[in-house]
Amino acid sequence: MTELVDPEDPAAGLAAVVALRRLADRLEDSQVERAMRSGWSWAEVAEVLGVTRQAVHKKHARRLLAAGVALRRR
Amino acid sequence: MSTDVRSILVRAARVEARRDGSRTIEAEHVLLALAREHDSEAAQLLAEVGLTEDAIRSALNREWEQSLAVAGIEVRTGSLPEATPERGRDPQMGESTKLLLHRAMEAAPKPGGGRIGPMRILVGLLATERGRVARALDAAGVDRAALRTRATEALAAGTR
Repeated sequence: MTELVDPEDPAAGLAAVVALRRLADRLEDSQVERAMRSGWSWAEVAEVLGVTRQAVHKKHARRLLAAGVALRRR
Repeated sequence: MSTDVRSILVRAARVEARRDGSRTIEAEHVLLALAREHDSEAAQLLAEVGLTEDAIRSALNREWEQSLAVAGIEVRTGSLPEATPERGRDPQMGESTKLLLHRAMEAAPKPGGGRIGPMRILVGLLATERGRVARALDAAGVDRAALRTRATEALAAGTR
């Protein structure tokens, strides 16, 4: 297990939180897009992410429609 | 020239936020927008210390990698999978942008009813030790204090 670089420096630790959120957001956007391009349903993506189908639809549907992804109804 | 340069900056910064896949306009997007206003003295000052648009983008990525490394994660951010940005998305002003605008308005001389220009925005942007922009400039080896002094002096001397 890797030690935190400098656990005594809250500025670095807090910056890491921001960086992780950026990473999670980027991964979510790209991986939801990838799944939907491969024909997954919203319900399937939602189940893996552990959120409701409505939540994942609300967050990604507009972007993916604009990106020309053929979305399944359910 | 527009009646309010602030609106241009926020508009250009919004383009950067959208491109970044961000749901909010943050200080880093304002910095990129400033650097892209090539005619402005603020952009020229940034370029003089090496902060061109490309240099800022790579500094921001380096900051991202360094901060991920703090959490034990080794990622080359350039090789992360891309998501298609949403062109129609309308990111709203994030907290870091609100803070920098507030600081810009506080900077001397007080703007009164006058127009808010790029140099004032830059002064507001540099008036903090914290956040991603400060860390990215450090990662780029920029002397932030010296840059801040130059921007503050230019603003005091009448550059907008």
